[in-house]
Amino acid sequence: MADALPLQNPNATTAEIAQSLRDIRERKKRRANLLRHLFLIICSFVMVYPLLWLLASSLKPDAEIFGNLSLWPTNFDWANYSEGWNALVVSFTQFFWNSTLITVLAVIGNVISASFTAYAFARLEFAGKNFWFALMMMTLMIPYHIVLIPQYILFLKMGWVDTYLPLIVPRFLATDAFFIFLMVQFFRQLPRELDEAAMIDGCSPFKIYWAIILPLSVPAMATAAIFSFIGIWQDFLPPLVYLNDVKDYTVPLALRMFSSQDSVSLYGPMFAMSVLSIIPIFFFFVVFQRLIVQGIAMSGLK
Amino acid sequence: MRKFLAKNAPGYIFLTPWLIGFFVLAIGPILISFYLSFTKYDIASPPKFTGLDNFDYMLFWDDRFWQSLKVTFAFVFLSVPGTLIFALAVAMALDKGIRAIGIYRALFYLPSILGGSIAVAILWRQLFSNNGVVNSFLALFGIQGPYWLSDPNYSLYTLVVLAIWQFGSPMLIFLAGLRAIPTELYEAAEIDAAGPVRKFFSITLPLLAPVMFFNLVLQMIEAFKTFNSAFIISDGRGNPLDSLLFFTLYLYNEAFSYFRMGYASALAWVLLLIIAAFTAVAFASSRYWVHYESDRG
Amino acid sequence: MAGVSLNSVIKRYGMVEAIHGIDLEVNDGEFLVLVGPSGCGKSTLLRMIAGLEEITDGTISIGGRIVNDVPAAQRDLSMVFQSYALYPHMDVHKNLAFGLTNLKMPKPEIKRRVEEAARILQIGDLMHRKPRQLSGGQKQRVAIGRAIVREPQLFLFDEPLSNLDAELRVQMRVELAGLYTRLGTTMIYVTHDQTEAMTMATRIAVLSEGNLEQLGTPYELYNFPQNRFVATFIGSPKMNMLDVHASGGGVDLEDFGRLDLNTAVPDGPLVVGIRPGQLILGEGGDVSTGGEISLVEYLGSEMFVHVRLASGRVMMVQAPGNSRHQIGDQVRLGIHRTEAHYFDANGLRVPLFDDRASN
Ligand SMILES: Nc1ncnc2c1ncn2[C@@H]1O[C@H](COP(=O)(O)OP(=O)(O)OP(=O)(O)O)[C@@H](O)[C@H]1O
Ligand SMILES: [Mg+2]
Repeated sequence: MADALPLQNPNATTAEIAQSLRDIRERKKRRANLLRHLFLIICSFVMVYPLLWLLASSLKPDAEIFGNLSLWPTNFDWANYSEGWNALVVSFTQFFWNSTLITVLAVIGNVISASFTAYAFARLEFAGKNFWFALMMMTLMIPYHIVLIPQYILFLKMGWVDTYLPLIVPRFLATDAFFIFLMVQFFRQLPRELDEAAMIDGCSPFKIYWAIILPLSVPAMATAAIFSFIGIWQDFLPPLVYLNDVKDYTVPLALRMFSSQDSVSLYGPMFAMSVLSIIPIFFFFVVFQRLIVQGIAMSGLK
Repeated sequence: MRKFLAKNAPGYIFLTPWLIGFFVLAIGPILISFYLSFTKYDIASPPKFTGLDNFDYMLFWDDRFWQSLKVTFAFVFLSVPGTLIFALAVAMALDKGIRAIGIYRALFYLPSILGGSIAVAILWRQLFSNNGVVNSFLALFGIQGPYWLSDPNYSLYTLVVLAIWQFGSPMLIFLAGLRAIPTELYEAAEIDAAGPVRKFFSITLPLLAPVMFFNLVLQMIEAFKTFNSAFIISDGRGNPLDSLLFFTLYLYNEAFSYFRMGYASALAWVLLLIIAAFTAVAFASSRYWVHYESDRG
Repeated sequence: MAGVSLNSVIKRYGMVEAIHGIDLEVNDGEFLVLVGPSGCGKSTLLRMIAGLEEITDGTISIGGRIVNDVPAAQRDLSMVFQSYALYPHMDVHKNLAFGLTNLKMPKPEIKRRVEEAARILQIGDLMHRKPRQLSGGQKQRVAIGRAIVREPQLFLFDEPLSNLDAELRVQMRVELAGLYTRLGTTMIYVTHDQTEAMTMATRIAVLSEGNLEQLGTPYELYNFPQNRFVATFIGSPKMNMLDVHASGGGVDLEDFGRLDLNTAVPDGPLVVGIRPGQLILGEGGDVSTGGEISLVEYLGSEMFVHVRLASGRVMMVQAPGNSRHQIGDQVRLGIHRTEAHYFDANGLRVPLFDDRASN
């Protein structure tokens, strides 16, 4: 081996030996790094390929979609989009509007109610706090399916089925413990002395929540808002159960109509609408990537 | 008394929305569900108490119940380890200052965010269709791919692959956990002439145990609750031949296609107990393999 | 302005009692410093006075009014925290005015007070900065400013200077003392820094493990420590402590031999405490002995000389900075019977020569 030479050469100076050792290490490191990048690039390509294929297929005529691995349509066919938009009995304008309305209200409800609850758990003292907190953490584990049936019966009796209320009202009641937990973690990091200083400055607990905690928790609020947006926008089971009128459908329900129709000619339009349905999420993901990554790490650890 | 009120009132006022939600939408329903599980109830007429009939039928007569358990367990045991292994492998490749980590992280995480969406489930159906992307790819190597979606021997794998594809969020959690391991430990191991394998098994893995545990519990619960993709890929019924009859799917159909609310509630309780049991086992076992920083003093 | 009085105040956290029934009378317009080792309950006591911590038992009154159940905001006091606790999202002006707006004070009055505080503390040109854009000393000033704009009848400080570097700490100490002279408001100040305590206090309360050990002026504490704890806690370097046995109106000291006290003292165990400054380096004293210098700590204006005696005991002696002592030198060490503190078996002061020393 050539690079071992100075090491074996009895006349080599210490500087030369040190230099060659450094070279070997450097080369090894570079090779390892290269391998690492290669592995990661292949992995990420495999990961993203299906999404790219979806995008490409949404621009291909139906004949070109199947049996075709290419990510580049031979000619860009935007017809799928216009066709898909109006392919169902109700136009996607309506579906997107429905989804937006539900999502916006539900996200607001989630953030407000979760921050209320988290503030009580993280900053206030009251009898039974630990007990309630343990119960709250336990609800993290409860599958939605077990409460779904009684909730359905309840909402049915209240005449709320076929309205958006079952999709929105529960969000104002902090039913998603994940967000409470996320915010509790965040609030606990804020120094206690701020609350105490504010108390001496004459703030009630409500004022402390409003004037101190909330303004200092903008990142946590935003993270919660983004996570709930992503979740609620894609929500499928609750709208599936509560909405029966196509006019009221959300985007995921509409997409499902495509897939269950199984009319072969509609693949392109179906892909086009699928792409549109994930664009808002994709947009939020790109813009708020850092918050999302931090949010996961925060809720996961510490 | 007034003092007691003044001390506790603010806390409970802030807690009120959650308390209402907790009683009306969580605990209340769970108890009602418990009651319903002993009844026959089709919503149109009042529930009729039938004792243990539902459970008797479920355990001794209902083949589809056992089928749905089989499908769900197979899915959990294939997808959770797969997801965790991928998540850890990629997290380790990303750890320790690699260039462009932000881009990689984003690309790996993206599927996690979209994974539950109907759009992706629809896409998945097409990827695995007879002349879909997967089989076209296999054909490049002269392999005749199976009929993924119509062959009951293969259908579950499409969903397992979909689950593993979403390894992004456990990966991020692993990544945060790896960051928390002090580099001095690795340096010390290096001085002790430990190789990479040794370092992985004697430093990385033990120190990552709490994170691994957290991910395991979370992924297991998630896997048991899988619904959206199973619904779309199996036409909402568990096709083909009940090979995708996920427990949640069976429950949904019993409740909302056949309006057997009593029986569906019994199923829901079984699901709750299974999840609780798995979580409990994970916690109980954690004593033996998870050591938290503070334990060591 | 108002005095504060604590009557058998007890604080328990669960089963643990952190404060064991403290009686303390803080006079109107006094600068009282609470000192004690870490964990002795200084902060807890202060926070109970502030109303941030509930009192398990006993009463606290401020200005003659029992405030046990009065919320912090209505006790008419301000507090300066160790971490400053400035509101990070508000600029300096908002930080100062926040408490006043909560009181629904008229705008011109708020303006007057904020400007006044800014002038006193020389923070006028920082008004539109956020806390994170301030240096440690500036933050400290703003924190104090936030306390004084309220013009309360009582100021509470919890180790306000401990986050500052040494130089700034001395400067702020002087400013705080100046502020006190100017306002004359009652102040209660927690620190574990003796110099702060001795220089600023009108009276000092020494706490240890939730008990009040002694309350007195800095002079009283230094010269007449009422027990062993206070004797060793106050004064730096520490007092030399010799465990001896009293018999027949005198004590038998190791190394030094018999010291006649020339006054009635009951037979039994006794502790003789001698501050480094009270020992005589060289010939002199009522009893003396020889020893070898084992270490010299030179501080400029003075030096601390460690002298090892025949028995192996090391005593610390203070000497002027211009004296010449070196490790290994043989020296003599002397004790005056009146220049010493005496404590009985329970650690309580035996006032043998107090009437003479106070002259
Ligand atoms: N919230 C609490 N719960 C339980 N114990 C507490 C709590 N706060 C303080 N303590 C205990 O009360 C004792 C007194 O604490 P305190 O903070 O008053 O000490 P301190 O004198 O201010 O110490 P330091 O100089 O370190 O600030 C300590 O033993 C402490 O552990
Ligand atoms: Mg303290």
